[in-house]
Amino acid sequence: MKNIGSKLILVVTGIFIFFPLYAATEFSMRNGAEKTHGLNAYRWIFEQSGFSENLLITAKITVLAVFLNLIIMVPTVTWLHLNGQRYKRLVEVLTILPLIIPVVALATGAQLALPEILQNSVYELSFMYVVVAMPYTYRALDIGLSGHPLATLTNAARNLGASWLRVLTQVIVPTIRPSILAALFLMVALSLGEFTLAQLLHWSTFPVWVTNASQQNIIGATALAVGSLFFAWILLFGFTFFGGKKSNSVQEEA
Amino acid sequence: MKQATNPNVDVKGASSKGGAFHGFIRNFPTPLIPLFIFLSIFFLWPIGALTGNAFKSNEGAFTLSNINLLFQDPYRLAFKNSITLGFISALVGAIPGLLIAIAIEKQGSQTFKKFVASISGVLANTGGVPLAFMFLAAFGPAGLVISALKSIGLDLYGLGFTLFSFTGLVIVYAYFQIPIMVIVITPALSALRSEWKDSAASLGASKLQYWIRVGIPLLLPSFVACFLLLFASAFSAFATARALTVGNIALVPLQIGSLIDGNVTVNQFNLGYALAFGMIVVSLFAMVPYIWIQSRTAKWQHK
Amino acid sequence: MANKSLVVAGLTRQFGAVTALDDFNLNVAKGELVALLGPSGCGKTTALRIIAGLEKSNAGRVQLNDKDITNDPAHIRNMGMVFQAYSLFPHLNVTENVAFGLKMRKISKSVREKKINAILELVGLEHHHKRFAHQLSGGQQQRVALARALVIEPEVLLLDEPLSALDAQVRTNLREEIRRLQLELGTTTLFVTHDQEEAMSISDRVGVMNKGKLEQIDTPDTLYNKPATEFVGAFVGTMNHIHTKLDNGKVNLFGQTLDAMKSGNESGNVVALIRPEAITVKTEGVANATVVTRSFLGASSRVTCRTQDGTYIEALMTSAATGDLHPGSEVQLQILSKEVLVTNV
Repeated sequence: MKNIGSKLILVVTGIFIFFPLYAATEFSMRNGAEKTHGLNAYRWIFEQSGFSENLLITAKITVLAVFLNLIIMVPTVTWLHLNGQRYKRLVEVLTILPLIIPVVALATGAQLALPEILQNSVYELSFMYVVVAMPYTYRALDIGLSGHPLATLTNAARNLGASWLRVLTQVIVPTIRPSILAALFLMVALSLGEFTLAQLLHWSTFPVWVTNASQQNIIGATALAVGSLFFAWILLFGFTFFGGKKSNSVQEEA
Repeated sequence: MKQATNPNVDVKGASSKGGAFHGFIRNFPTPLIPLFIFLSIFFLWPIGALTGNAFKSNEGAFTLSNINLLFQDPYRLAFKNSITLGFISALVGAIPGLLIAIAIEKQGSQTFKKFVASISGVLANTGGVPLAFMFLAAFGPAGLVISALKSIGLDLYGLGFTLFSFTGLVIVYAYFQIPIMVIVITPALSALRSEWKDSAASLGASKLQYWIRVGIPLLLPSFVACFLLLFASAFSAFATARALTVGNIALVPLQIGSLIDGNVTVNQFNLGYALAFGMIVVSLFAMVPYIWIQSRTAKWQHK
Repeated sequence: MANKSLVVAGLTRQFGAVTALDDFNLNVAKGELVALLGPSGCGKTTALRIIAGLEKSNAGRVQLNDKDITNDPAHIRNMGMVFQAYSLFPHLNVTENVAFGLKMRKISKSVREKKINAILELVGLEHHHKRFAHQLSGGQQQRVALARALVIEPEVLLLDEPLSALDAQVRTNLREEIRRLQLELGTTTLFVTHDQEEAMSISDRVGVMNKGKLEQIDTPDTLYNKPATEFVGAFVGTMNHIHTKLDNGKVNLFGQTLDAMKSGNESGNVVALIRPEAITVKTEGVANATVVTRSFLGASSRVTCRTQDGTYIEALMTSAATGDLHPGSEVQLQILSKEVLVTNV
């Protein structure tokens, strides 16, 4: 008896989730005013001038953001776990601060405060993205590292004669690779979809450009929305159901 | 004090800026310096600057006049709208989200739960313009639902409904607010040990009494925390609001956006900063308790 | 007719193709402490939960004081229950936890306070009123759980492996305390465990279960000395199993002819069950085995030997008597009794 109620809730929820998606998919497959359906709209965005350049810009911003994220967060979190337990609370507080500040507010502050050199370059976005993602990337790395006895592994490696560089590259990084990848994934996802900062700081990135282009072609824009959603789902499903296999530890040598 | 003399393990941020032997600056650990510098430049400084400017007159003197303006229309209205939007959207996300999470928890299948977890993850991050377009296709003037209802005689737009409104935003926001609630409350739900339910029953508590005395008190912190998070999300959201309602209703993020784009009287260029400052204050009221609650419940939820 | 407090008859529980409980019957007298002992999956916890009302059976009935409670929901059965872990409500302190059942029964505040103080004193935690579960050790948590279950003066106290999650030393102390409390308060108790030492040391009777069936229920002494089946013999204490032939009610082991108990004049293939303390190892006499190991356990020593046909036999002797025995010594095994238990192969 009980289960009927909960199953009903789930069915209704399912409808609410998938209906807009269905509507959007149907809409996106309309061939203009004709009554037929097709996948033409899905080609539209690729055919717009500005597609490649804007995509490239966003790609470059993403790469820089990922790079910054890595070199700042990974060593810091690693150090915290190995040697800096005392400072964990402090860092936790610091990295959660960006969560409190609305992105719109951050944008106004960035426009005001950041040095000229940076403000003249679209790459200022990379830096800001790292800040905005920080609460999530820190958490991902922290949780990931907590799962491994890093100190023990490091001591063992040092005991066996490894230099610090070796320890870092051949013990620590491979062990925490899943968490690093998770943090990267977060960074990439954010960067590819980020609109607010880019728009307010007057840069044309891929999301901003798409939004503007969408005014001209609703069907095409809807196709893009649907396409990106499905794409994200496929990625995430893959990650969830097949990502677990990646936990091969560094035990080839033993 | 610390660091180089620690007998256990000694690692510094290997590839970060700064050499290995910078020494201490008032006992601040060297490995944390890169992070600290980064946050200072790209976070603390912008926030500090905008706060400072919020209280500056056009001539640069300290003034409360910008802040005072916030309490007058149209800005007062914008704050009222944004806060109300935050609150209502949070409710619309929190309650159904809780019920759905409970329904999910009752299903036994692990694959189903994994499936739900991935979907929730994607949906929770669906926002901005793509989301707006999706809803346009369903609930816009030419949308599927609207047309279908029209064909059976129900003209929603004729009756005054429109997606480009406060209500429309609440509906659209629900699409990611509900999954966020599901994601946040599910760990709290699964932390409800069956032993507690069984103990309560053996001690004489009916199902209702169990929920009132045990279940709800244990879920409350996460629920409240999530509510606060949903509030802050809806309050601060920009892209979707801009896509659907810009020009229609006064919302703080949109007003800031328009000020930044230059649509403002030249006399008040610090107004934008005052607005931003106001946003931060409201957000603080929601996010600080959120963070506090989350840090406390983490203790017994992960046992 | 003993005072039957709890009567369980014909309890059966199936999960799809798996039979968790098969025609389970149990009578517990008032004030008795009965243990249900068995390996994981034997059905003991299922039986307990059905008695508590937390699960339903497919068949059978549960009676309490001559009243049929089979269909009563758990919260009106008035049975106290203690679980293996996570017993206490995490958001309530010790006093509030213990008060829970009393509040459900609408006991007035002053009476509640008195009862709570009394029971906390009884379990030795009178100074921990305000503590929360995460501030208590495992043993303390279980004691609070006991107090909480006992303060409502339940008809039956049900314990589901309450000591399994605790350290060895705490386990030994706490089980004595459970027995002490149970005797002092006269509470009818049903105790589920997989640890035979635990069950045997404090129970009035022990029921050994295997694969959903109750194989034997008896006093610890009887179970130990007169196991009804090979499983019971093996599960309770250590047992040597020797495959041998039954000839006209007698078996021949290590050159000795012994009466097989309860076997009349039968013949056939059987398994002889002999306790280690019933076997002695001698250095004189005709050798029929070789010592493999000798484990010094303090007052006694365990000697494992290998017979000529490859069977491993365990003997338990006083350490003084085993001084000459070393791995490799040729020895004579001798059974100290005239009769021996056998079961069919």
